[in-house]
Amino acid sequence: IGGLFRNVVGGKTLTKEDLEKPLKGMEDHLLKKNVAREAAVRLCDSVERDLIGLKTNSFTTIESTLRTAMERALTKILTPTSSLDLLREISTVTSTNRPYVLSIVGVNGVGKSTNLSKIAFFLLQNHHRVLIAAADTFRSGAVEQLRVHVRNLKELSKREGGEVDIFEKGYGKDAANIAADAVTFAKENKYDVVLIDTAGRRHNDARLMSSLEKFAKLAKPDKILMVGEALVGSDAVAQARNFNNSFGAGRGLDGFVISKCDTVGDMVGTLVSMVHATGIPVVFLGVGQHYADLRGLNVGSVCRLLMS
Amino acid sequence: MVLQDLGRRINAAVNDLTRSSNLDEKAFDAMLKEIGNALISSDVNVKLVATLRASIKRIVNFNDQSPGVNKKRLIQKAVFDELVKLVDPHAEPFKPKKGKSNVIMFVGLQGSGKTTTCTKLARWYQARGFKACLVCADTFRAGAFDQLKQNATKAKIPYYGSHTQTDPVVVAREGVEKFKKERFEIIIVDTSGRHRQEKDLFDEMVQIQQAVTPDQTIMVLDASIGQAAEAQSRAFKETADFGAIVITKTDGAAQGGGAISAVAATHTPIIFIGTGEHMLDLERFAPQPFVSKLLGMGDVAGLVEH
Ligand SMILES: Nc1nc2c(ncn2[C@@H]2O[C@H](COP(=O)(O)OP(=O)(O)OP(=O)(O)O)[C@@H](O)[C@H]2O)c(=O)[nH]1
Ligand SMILES: Nc1nc2c(ncn2[C@@H]2O[C@H](COP(=O)(O)OP(=O)(O)OP(=O)(O)O)[C@@H](O)[C@H]2O)c(=O)[nH]1
Ligand SMILES: [Mg+2]
Ligand SMILES: [Mg+2]
Repeated sequence: IGGLFRNVVGGKTLTKEDLEKPLKGMEDHLLKKNVAREAAVRLCDSVERDLIGLKTNSFTTIESTLRTAMERALTKILTPTSSLDLLREISTVTSTNRPYVLSIVGVNGVGKSTNLSKIAFFLLQNHHRVLIAAADTFRSGAVEQLRVHVRNLKELSKREGGEVDIFEKGYGKDAANIAADAVTFAKENKYDVVLIDTAGRRHNDARLMSSLEKFAKLAKPDKILMVGEALVGSDAVAQARNFNNSFGAGRGLDGFVISKCDTVGDMVGTLVSMVHATGIPVVFLGVGQHYADLRGLNVGSVCRLLMS
Repeated sequence: MVLQDLGRRINAAVNDLTRSSNLDEKAFDAMLKEIGNALISSDVNVKLVATLRASIKRIVNFNDQSPGVNKKRLIQKAVFDELVKLVDPHAEPFKPKKGKSNVIMFVGLQGSGKTTTCTKLARWYQARGFKACLVCADTFRAGAFDQLKQNATKAKIPYYGSHTQTDPVVVAREGVEKFKKERFEIIIVDTSGRHRQEKDLFDEMVQIQQAVTPDQTIMVLDASIGQAAEAQSRAFKETADFGAIVITKTDGAAQGGGAISAVAATHTPIIFIGTGEHMLDLERFAPQPFVSKLLGMGDVAGLVEH
């Protein structure tokens, strides 16, 4: 009986000392889930502030009180404060007789082009006319990659409805100009949505990052989504911050796509790190390599994975 | 750069301790804690960090030291040795021989940098007098063959692949057979990205491997990978038994501790690091010089007899 009840501190007022060990355990737990240390420490600090001086319920252990508080903190930071209804935003814009422009940015190899194609598939299912702009003019095969996706999507859209084309100008040209031309072309040809793919870039490469400012100025995207991959560790924090700050005054990211969630099991901490770093919401999760492998964020199930 | 911040933080922690006037156990524990935090912030596996802290503690054995012992040197050496252990599995990687066909197969997670690194490596050997070529056995990713083709063309390296064949095992076998006949010395086989959660993808990797019987299988890891590195690299090791690791994107800001944890998890050496998107951005990797540089050559390097 002693063993069973040792931790039960129902009706106890919690002190810093009571919380120290369990909080360290919680921090380690989050770290193992691939939450960046910076984010894990901040979450634990906020939970500590919430709990000190609090009276626990009867027959409730410190551990379970802490757990509940952490779940609440995670839910709070992951829950978007505004609506993320992409389809509604699109129809608002297209009703003003111009196309909705969405662009995708991120570091190398995270899944930008693939998830852009998945978003195109989602829009086709909703019977939109989509133009995909190949503004990665640097990486070998980037244009052909999108050509293949557009060919596949055309085939699929016969069944799903919608229409899709590619806007490309080959390699070596300035990405911002291509993006702007694509938007003009889309407006003239009555496309509903322009999806702009961009080249991967290191967030610590000042030259490549600074070209994003011109890109935002010329293409004037309605939405800029950053793809962050679920595999990434601590670098997620700086990735999110630096991309968010790269578009010039008054313009930041509008949301994240967290890709490759199918490769990490329950270690889904990256999305916590990125949201922690910027306060910007997760719009989509990538959960595989096929067109249908795109999901909205379910905060409840992410929290369950993180606390499991 | 890989582990640069880590090196700085560890150095600072060790120096603070060894310079302080009261080198007591409390200060020693604080140093260990700071080293642990630095390692975790660099994405080194959480469990591995706990083990590493425990072994430094055991080796230094703070309470049980005669007054004559130079504690400073002992602590520095313990930290250095444990870090070397982290990146040095003491396993010899395969060395290609001239005058015969050496088949090298690349494996790894999606987007880690395999295709880019394949060309870099082919060019690296070509520059050292090997007759090198590339085989594209990625029939899944959109544009994969075009990517390899364009890279190979830029580097003037012969390549093999197909826009129509959908079975990577067939392409891999045909390509390797063709180049073997033509007496190429380095035949590099690029494959699709895959992960342990999808069994079909792992089965495919085994089939390609059986078809080309590589002399060396290389796993490519992105320097920014976090805590998933251990489970993924272990699974690749168990299935494909890779004999070397290449860490890519070390020009990024990531500290590379996740990828380095894969060395400890699989007892497999890192042989190259990728340092950029261009063809020549590839560097040889050797563990001891790496750690020496990390911790500042100075007095630390002098402590180690190798
Ligand atoms: N398992 C899994 N793989 C994904 C997912 N999203 C993308 N990928 C894979 O990741 C790899 C890289 O994807 P790309 O879309 O080419 O990445 P990118 O960010 O455009 O790459 P660069 O343009 O070279 O910077 C491909 O093999 C994709 O199939 C996902 O959600 N899950
Ligand atoms: N900065 C930097 N980028 C790199 C490096 N190595 C590869 N890349 C970039 O990373 C992205 C992905 O590289 P790929 O070679 O296509 O990766 P992969 O592993 O073949 O991808 P899949 O075949 O889809 O699994 C590309 O944008 C490359 O240019 C490197 O060392 N540094
Ligand atoms: Mg791309
Ligand atoms: Mg590839």
